[in-house]
This record gives sequence, structure tokens and C-alpha cells, in this order.
Amino acid sequence: MASALSATDVHAAKWSAKDVSIGDVVSALHRLRSESAGETEGPDLRTSVMTHLAWVPPDWQEAAVETLAGLGDRHPSRGILLFPEDSPTDGIDAKVSVLAFPLSHRRRHIAAEVIELHLRGRTTEAPASIVMPLLVTGLPVFLRWRGRPSFGRPTVEQLVDVCDRFIVDSAEWADVPAAYRDLPFDRTACSDIAWRRTEPWRRSLAGLWPGIAEARQLSVTGPLAEASLLAGWLRARLGHDVGLTHDESERLESLAVDGESCPSPRELLSGSDLLSAELDEFGRDPVYEAAAQAASASA
Amino acid sequence: MTDTQVAENPLLLGLGPRRAPEPCAMVIFGASGDLTHRKIFPALYALAYRRLLPERFAVVGTARSDWTDDEFRNQMENAVREFGRDEFKQEVWDWLAEATHYVPMDFADESGESKLVQLLTQLDEERGTRANRFYYLAVPPAAMPEIVEHLGKDRKTEGWVRLIIEKPFGRDLASARELTKLISSHFTEEEVFRIDHYLGKETVQNMLALRFANGIFEPIWNRQFIDHVQITVSETLGIEGRAGYYDQAGAIRDIFQNHLLQLVALTAMEPPIDFTADSVRNEKVKVLKAIHTPGPKHIVRGQYGQGYVEGKEVTGYREEEGVPANSMTETHVAAKLYVDNWRWADTPFYVRIGKRLARRETTIAIQFQRAPHPPFEDAATEELRPNLLLVHVQPDEGVSLAIGAKVPGQGMRIRTVHMDFMYGGTFRTDLPEAYERLILDAMLGDQTLFTRSDEVEEQWALVDAIVATWARDRPAFHNYPAGTWGPVAAEELMRRDGREWLRH
Repeated sequence: MASALSATDVHAAKWSAKDVSIGDVVSALHRLRSESAGETEGPDLRTSVMTHLAWVPPDWQEAAVETLAGLGDRHPSRGILLFPEDSPTDGIDAKVSVLAFPLSHRRRHIAAEVIELHLRGRTTEAPASIVMPLLVTGLPVFLRWRGRPSFGRPTVEQLVDVCDRFIVDSAEWADVPAAYRDLPFDRTACSDIAWRRTEPWRRSLAGLWPGIAEARQLSVTGPLAEASLLAGWLRARLGHDVGLTHDESERLESLAVDGESCPSPRELLSGSDLLSAELDEFGRDPVYEAAAQAASASA
Repeated sequence: MTDTQVAENPLLLGLGPRRAPEPCAMVIFGASGDLTHRKIFPALYALAYRRLLPERFAVVGTARSDWTDDEFRNQMENAVREFGRDEFKQEVWDWLAEATHYVPMDFADESGESKLVQLLTQLDEERGTRANRFYYLAVPPAAMPEIVEHLGKDRKTEGWVRLIIEKPFGRDLASARELTKLISSHFTEEEVFRIDHYLGKETVQNMLALRFANGIFEPIWNRQFIDHVQITVSETLGIEGRAGYYDQAGAIRDIFQNHLLQLVALTAMEPPIDFTADSVRNEKVKVLKAIHTPGPKHIVRGQYGQGYVEGKEVTGYREEEGVPANSMTETHVAAKLYVDNWRWADTPFYVRIGKRLARRETTIAIQFQRAPHPPFEDAATEELRPNLLLVHVQPDEGVSLAIGAKVPGQGMRIRTVHMDFMYGGTFRTDLPEAYERLILDAMLGDQTLFTRSDEVEEQWALVDAIVATWARDRPAFHNYPAGTWGPVAAEELMRRDGREWLRH
């Protein structure tokens, strides 16, 4: 597996072990932070704004690591990556890294902590009990769930209850728009990276007001998730039904309203940029919730 | 988005305010100057890089240099490559270069002016800039009246106009009022943006966040809990070939009148009712009005002599090229100021500014009262200093809080430790350059980070009073070796009060 470290870190203190307790992980964190103090002028500064929790099933490991590497020095908080593994034996294998990123013009460094936990066997069924001792006190918890969460299963339910913000990318789901019905809007703030990707296009569509007020048909060339959310958004905001014609494509390429092309926006954001934007949001997003509900209602 | 905008267009709900200016043509007067090379064009490139400039945009440089469009573009490309904070992307530059033009112009020559007007009209048609004009006056004060007069005369009825004026705004209260009178005969206050680039710095704005977004600071932000405030704006550079300007201005007009007094105002102001331009500026003006003119014993001026800065020998001020050998221009000012109001009565604000000092830094230090009765033995607390909140404006932007902590081990020994919040450490996105923020704000018509005419006038009133005292009483003029923290008299200014400048 690739390392979840950014290429820009200047040094990394690491510890790894098999069949560990969470107490071992906490001790390792303290020890690594103390050790890192010897490598710079004074201890590395730790300025956290959140705990970033990620649930990464095996199929998503490579993509998750790539995105985290892009985030590495942007949100130097405590990152906890949970890798569930099918295994006949129960246990936790851990790797703890304290990364130091340089502060420009200074010899001191900023520390970011990454805890990678491989959960084997039945430990995958009690993830909340594993992460709760590791959360940074008093700061919000963002949970990024890779792939399609199995809502209703204990794993998902426990972690949803732990987090302040639940971040998914519905473009990773095969069953949109029906799947939007399952999002736990009533329990936590939900974010969808697919929704974030539509933002420049929503601005373009908003620019068509008032001509768009009576729109009846939206044609989208792009991923189904984004197309469904855009159509749901128009239905919710305009207060009437808007049909969707969809042509599949890897990314949003073109939009037309009642046959009229919508101007393409100039912004294009990377995966790290998109997740970073979600990590800067805190409250619920009622516009997204209404769009997702309207999208699922048409399924 | 405002409620009104959303009521008019329900699709805007949740999209948030987008800082995208309307189409406009920007005209830079003084386009061949250092500021355009070092700051303005690199800032425009950074905005273009982030797609924050309007799609329909043009920028026209004007100056006396007889350049073509291409020569100007080449100059600006080199400037962006040298001074830009982002990687150079050809496609970004190509977009900006296509929007860039140049008109050689001398206002004494009417033909130059008509060429500019013709070009702008042409750009309105070709680039869709909608007669919106954004004038940036990066010119010496002496050149401003003529330009303002011409711009006023040529202004169109359609489109909006915004006028950015670089400091210094006048050289005293009378000249500032005269300039304001001239400007206001052609432009409204809402169209005028007097730039003080310090206000565009993230950490200066963070001062407002620190004070007004944190419940723990504001209750103790007053004379009851704060012993004194120290503000340092120090440079290691000399006058860098600007003898003509600097010998006339001196440190008091170059830095004290604008940057320093703005920092005092932001530190001392009352909470504004909201973060609109007028609310913030109203509170700053109240502080400026409340500052007492310091008496002769409360202000020290000096001039640097030969010395060493960062290991290199440097000449004294009077040996700098273009400086008269008998110049009495101050390159350093230290003062004890009082803000006479309920919050700050009897709390001194010690300020110091200067060139060729020991190091480059801008810091606001809030020193709190000592703990009234630490229940430890004297020996336990001998190294304990009062709590200190340090706001590092530059470099190393951030905030430090000095607190007492027990030294691990047997017994009870307490030492002062610093808890650091480094701005770039928590929010790892690069801090925007002040000029990027200010240019974008001005394009958007947001005046919050620009100074209003009454602010400028209050600042000049204080400076005029100080300069008048100098002229009348001729107080001692203290020299200091380059590379030090200024004259000994500046140290004495604090020592007399039983305090000292922070050791850095």
C-alpha cells in the first residue's frame, strides 16, 4: 500500500506494530512527538482544527491515500484512517506517523499525526470504541466514508454518531439517486463531494435567472450523481418538476436547460481541493439536503 | 448572498457570496514604477491564477516611458516571474497578457489623455468592460491632483468608477484636506479607496478576529487587565535609493502616520456593530480622535549612522546617495501614546518604528498586569514574567501567548513559556499578499480595509502636532548605529516607567 504521507513533509517519525491496544497507539503518539522535538529547534508545533476520520474499505485504499497526500500539509490535524479487513482473527494492526511540515522562513515545524489502523475480524464491528479514545478533545470530527456506506449496519451507525460531519462522495455509489434516501440528515451534518463538484455549474445556472425560472428539462453530460443532484436542486429551488436527460461521462462536461446550453464555469478543483473545501464547512447544508431528497424522490 | 438577492433569485440560496467582481477596465498610473512591478502586477497574476478576476477584464498601464504594448507585457511578465508567489503558468499569463495594454502618457500632453480615453472605449466594445473603470494611482503625491482633475473631467455617466490612491495621502493635514476637496469635487467617498497595505495583511485582519471572535479576550482587553501595549514596526532596510521622497517624509510620515496609527486603532477600537466598512472605520476614527499628542518627553526621534545589519556594514543615513549631509530627517520614532477614553485611560501604548533596525518585524504586544499574589516563594517565580499576548504581523504571522508553567521536577519552579499559534501552520494555504486582497476588495467596492478621509485627517492632525512640537521646541535628536534597536533615548522612554521594550 502506498504511504499516506505527503511528499512535502520534511521528516516523519513512525511506529508500527501488530495486535496492538489503543493504549499502545496513544503511547506511541506521545513518544513520537517527544522524539521529533530533538530534530528541530524545539518541539514541532501542533495546531489542530479537527480530527479527520476516514473509513477506507480495501477497494478504496489507493484513492484515499492519494487524496490524503494532497491534504497532508493543508489540514495538519490528527488523521485516523480505518482500514477494515476480512480476517478469521480479530485484532488491530497500527501504524502511527508524526509528520513534520516546514514553516516557511523558520526552522521549526508543524506536526500532523496520522494513525492508520487495520481492523481485523470482529473489531470492524465496533469502530466507535476504537476511535473515541483517539479523538482530539474539543474539536470537531469529520468522517470521510469511502465508497457506499451500508446504512443501518452497526459500523456506519456508530461512526455517524461519533462524527460532527459525515462526508461522502455519492459519485462512488452505484445506486444513486435512490441512495440519497438513506443519508442520515436527521442525525449529523452531511456533505457530498459530488454536490461540491456541481457548485460552479450551479452558479452558472443561477446566472440564467430569471429565464430559468420556468425550466422543465435539464440535460446533463456527466456522472449520474452530479446530474441527479443538479436536477434535484432545480426541482427543490424552482418548486416544480424538472426532467433529467442524462449522458454518462467521467466528469461534468455540459449542461443544457430546455435545450439551451449553460455556460461552462472556469473553476476545476482537484480531489484534495474538494475534500479540503468540505473540511472547512461545519453546519448542515439545507440546500443540499433538499436537492438530495428531491433527487431521490424521482427514483 | 443577501436575503434580498435570494428572494429575487432562489437559485442563489446556499451558494454564498462569490467574490467575483463585475467586468471592468483597470488603469494603472505609474505603470513603469517599482510598485507596479513588485506588487500590483504580481497581485493581478495571483488573482488571475485563482480565477478571481472578472472574465471581461482589461488592464492598461500608463506612464511616461515610451513603451509599446508588447514591451510593457514583457516587463510585467518578468515582474510576475520574479515577484509572483505562484508558479508561472503560461496559460494564466497568456490570459492576463491578452488583457494588458499600455499607453505612454504625460498629462501635460493632451494627446496622451485622448489616446487613453480612446483605448478604454475600444476595450469596452472589444472586451465587454461595460465602461466600469478602476483607476490605480501608483504615483507620487505631487502627480495626483493633475490626474484626479483629468479623470474627473473625463468621467462617463455610465459604468462605475473606483479610484485607488496610494499612500502618502498628502504630506500634512492641510494638503490632505486639499486633496480630499479636489477628489470630492469629482468622486464620492464611496468611489475612493485610500490604500494602506497593512490593512490587507491577514494577520492585521486576524487582530479583529482575535479580539471579537473570542469571548476570552474582550473582557480583559482594557486598562483593568492590560499594563501596556507595545507596537513595533521595524525594518532592516535603509532608504533604498528613495532619498528624494524619504528625506522630505521621514519616518513619521512614511510609517507612523499610516501603518502605525492604523495598528494602534485596530488594537484599541471598540467592537464595531458589524463588519461593514463604515462601522469598522467609525470605531477606528474614535480611537484616533482620542489619542493625545505626546509631549516632548514622550517622543524620541533619531537617525541611523554607520553600522552593521545582518553582518554587513552599511552607511549612515547622511551618507546615503541623495541625502543632504546635514539632513535632520528622522529614520526612527519611538513614542508613548495615550488613548484617552474609558477603556484605555492611563494605559500607555509604546510604539516604535524605524529603518536599519536590528531586524524586520511588525509586532503588537499586549502585556497584561502581573498576577497579584502568586502563592509561591519568590525564588519559584523569579523568571516568571507577566502574561503577554504577541500578535506577529510579519514575518512569521501568528499569535503567541506567554504563560507561567511549572518546570517539571521536584519542588515548585515556574517559568514563562510561549504557546504559539503560527498562522501558516494551522491554515496551510498560502497567505494572500495584501495587494491581492485590497485590489479585489476595491474591484468589489468593499471599503472595509481602506482608510476614510476623516481617518486620514485625524492621523495627519496628530502628526502635524508632533512635527510642530519638534519645530518649536527642537528636542534632542538622537543617532543610533544601524543594526541596533534605535537610540538609547528610546530605551529610556520605557525605563523611566519601569518597563522595557521586549527583548526579541
